[in-house]
Amino acid sequence: MKIIKSAFPLAIALFLTYAMNQSWGTIPPIGKIFSPFHGFWMNAESPDSGEPTEETLQIAGLHQPVQVVYDEMGVPHVFAQDDHDLYLAQGYLTAKDRLWQMEFQTHFAGGRISEIVGEKGIASDQFQRRMGSVYGAEKSFEGMKEDPAAKTALEAYSDGVNAYIASLSDRQLPLEYKLLNYRPEPWTPIKSALFLKNMSFVLASGTDDLKMTNILRKYGREVAEDLFPNYPFQESPIIPVGSPVDFKPVPIPAGPADFTGLGSSMSTPEKDPNIGSNNWAVAGNKTVSGLPILANDPHLTLSLPSIWYQMQLVAPGVNVYGSTMPGTPNVIIGFNKNVAWGVTNVGSDVLDWYQVKFKDASKKEYWHDGKWKKTTMRIETFKIKGKKDMVDTIFFTHHGPVVYLSHEKPFRSNIPVGHALRWIAHEKSQELTTFYQLNRAKNYADYAKALTYYSAPAQNFVFASNEGDIALWVNGKFPLKSKLQGKYLLDGTDAAADWQGFIPQAHNPHVKNPVRGFVSSANQFSVDPSYPYYLGWQYAPSERGRRINERLAVMEKITMDSLRGLQNDNFNIRARELLPLLFDQVKSPTAAQSKALAALKSWNLVNSPESVEATIFENWVLTLQECLWSDEFSADEKVPMSRPSMDRTIQLIKSEPTARWWDDTKTPAKESMSDIVMKSLQANVDTLLKQHGPQGPEWAWYKHKQTGVRHLIPGMDALSRLNIPIGGGGTIVNASTTKTGPSWRLVVELSKEGKPRAYGVYPGGQSGNPGSSHYDDLIDTWAKGELKPLLYLTSPEEKSNRLRKKITLSK
Amino acid sequence: MKQLIYSLILIVIGALVGIYLPWYAMGVAFGLIAFVLNMPVKSSFLTGFLAGFILWVMAALWLDLQHPSTLPGRMAQVFPLKGNVFALFAVTGVLGGLFSGIWTWAGARLRQK
Repeated sequence: MKIIKSAFPLAIALFLTYAMNQSWGTIPPIGKIFSPFHGFWMNAESPDSGEPTEETLQIAGLHQPVQVVYDEMGVPHVFAQDDHDLYLAQGYLTAKDRLWQMEFQTHFAGGRISEIVGEKGIASDQFQRRMGSVYGAEKSFEGMKEDPAAKTALEAYSDGVNAYIASLSDRQLPLEYKLLNYRPEPWTPIKSALFLKNMSFVLASGTDDLKMTNILRKYGREVAEDLFPNYPFQESPIIPVGSPVDFKPVPIPAGPADFTGLGSSMSTPEKDPNIGSNNWAVAGNKTVSGLPILANDPHLTLSLPSIWYQMQLVAPGVNVYGSTMPGTPNVIIGFNKNVAWGVTNVGSDVLDWYQVKFKDASKKEYWHDGKWKKTTMRIETFKIKGKKDMVDTIFFTHHGPVVYLSHEKPFRSNIPVGHALRWIAHEKSQELTTFYQLNRAKNYADYAKALTYYSAPAQNFVFASNEGDIALWVNGKFPLKSKLQGKYLLDGTDAAADWQGFIPQAHNPHVKNPVRGFVSSANQFSVDPSYPYYLGWQYAPSERGRRINERLAVMEKITMDSLRGLQNDNFNIRARELLPLLFDQVKSPTAAQSKALAALKSWNLVNSPESVEATIFENWVLTLQECLWSDEFSADEKVPMSRPSMDRTIQLIKSEPTARWWDDTKTPAKESMSDIVMKSLQANVDTLLKQHGPQGPEWAWYKHKQTGVRHLIPGMDALSRLNIPIGGGGTIVNASTTKTGPSWRLVVELSKEGKPRAYGVYPGGQSGNPGSSHYDDLIDTWAKGELKPLLYLTSPEEKSNRLRKKITLSK
Repeated sequence: MKQLIYSLILIVIGALVGIYLPWYAMGVAFGLIAFVLNMPVKSSFLTGFLAGFILWVMAALWLDLQHPSTLPGRMAQVFPLKGNVFALFAVTGVLGGLFSGIWTWAGARLRQK
């Protein structure tokens, strides 16, 4: 009895230790994380003192020592003696700043989030794997390894990441590991493939086929084709109309028979569609310097740690500067002594769904081309934190994985059940070779050759060289389709509905040194309808592209700063077209509505951060679409449909004022166009009054829009930057929306002497550590529309007052 | 007075253990010391609490002075402390204190049959 009494406090102490060493739901292990010897207190980093420092780090596996100098932004400039050492150092240094992000993103891509967060990650994980993310990465990894240079880069990069992981003790772990209470696992080369394949998920997984089939079923082909046309009313395609065609097209497949699929039901909402990008290059005859200038700003979901990581990589045969993607070797967007390149996404249709007819419940056979064929099965195991493993079987037809079986509930509303997925992201590919060669390209020929290795996600590769060339290739692997094949769900039993090979790469849309003196892209249609192949029926809205092209056409004596200005252009081309049409329809507005209209009538059409008018206009566009289309196209949640585009809406206002669509079918009265415009104005003003009070400075566009750069852990506001004062919008060149925006801005001017000058910025910072001053130190510069000069060194000994830390990596 | 000397001993040992061993080793060490030194049970919790509180606050303060950063402000939002860094130090101290106090008490109590 006495012993029990004596030992009782010990039991309490042991229990307390256990409790404080454990996560409880989202609460981190409270003892471990607050201990100043182990927890978050250890993650604070002093700001840059401005004093240069030197240190040496031992890294196993290096052939020769590697010199690294960091500049005041925290960008490492890496000087290695061979490729192996260069990529090993890239892996090591990237991990040093971004390890948690690299691992978290590849866990996400590989459908392994539930290993970290437990059960709540399962639906997302299962979706990733059912879409074939791991399958695609494995196939693409096979392709990558076929190029010895890419294989060396992948393996050395992986060794570098692992050298860093091995050097970390528990107390040195990045903050997020401490918050989520886990440890990094070893890196493997296939993770780089997973990361690259995930870019297809981010950029090329949009799919409206199900929604279009639902429309087809409800309204028939004529209405579907009328309201969802295959080329916009207003467009300025990437390849200028009338550009010469330098190839003889291969025959176009006959295409499948007409098919109206089953359609299907939905669950959770889709992702933000506001992902796009801008890029352009102007020829020397339009610039002050006489040499080409190139600009690029890829728009992605803004996040912290930043999507991009700047680096300069130097070794025999290469000296390249630009933004890298943590998790994969090489520079992705950047420049070297002779050339510069950038990318924007191509919205072509590279993802199709095939309605599957299984023989029986065993799903071992499916009907195709008049016979029963065997499915293959892939077993996926999910390790779930705090739970038993879950095993899932994915059935594959020759098209690809059956993402959801007919009785299952899809993770996103646009994913049909009972359909097999045919997707370019499942092809064997060699994207790494493209970037490896672009990093070393000397001229147009090198650039064009590098692009031949690229599959997905298809990109508009803009290019400029110090020989004076500018060019743009709409590049990727595009399925060879009949016209409109895959606009709607396809018949999985019809062999003619299969993809019939690919468009030869040399036939991809491209343009070199056009007479207009510039090339550009902003995710709009790649080509006008005269192009011989079918690429897709729906691209990003044309406004950004049209604005860029109208500006570049008139700009002369261009400098890097004038292009910086264009990247930050907030002019609202849609308002210019739409507002006069709407004003014509206004009748007897209320006092509050009159006030809003008066503001719009005197507006300079610029979506500046403080603009009250921009808020009124942008919200009006939303309420107008809602009032016009929601009755016919979002009536039933279980039958998701696309809504006609804004382009089609403007056309409707201009030329079809009595179309049946104007009537609100939910009311007995018959509404006219004017009635709907007034109804939308009322809804617009009422919501703004309710959200922000009387019309005034509280209606400022940036306050309404609330652009934020959010930490990768959902809801982690303390590690995010919210309410950033920035203008722009989804259809504005400065494409900053609530969650997406220019994730990296680059402007480069080439030089005959091989001394390019460049400026760049991204909304974040070089360090992934929230305890570092470099975590988010570039956000304010970015929001103001300014750029930082980028330091392009030719040797590690080069003097610059911007250099800080010097590290020698030695074996 | 003797309690203060005990606390001082615990702080010194606690710092050494903290630097070299896992975080919970400090508690075990405090229990052992209380056992070996045969600390009076009555004041043991307070002795340990004081040592743990002071040690964790001082260590956190030292790190914050060595590496001034926005991190404490952010962590005071990650944990619902309304961004109050003072509160973050206080929570650090109280957690260190509680943990140390209970172990010291457990060690002392085990010795007193």
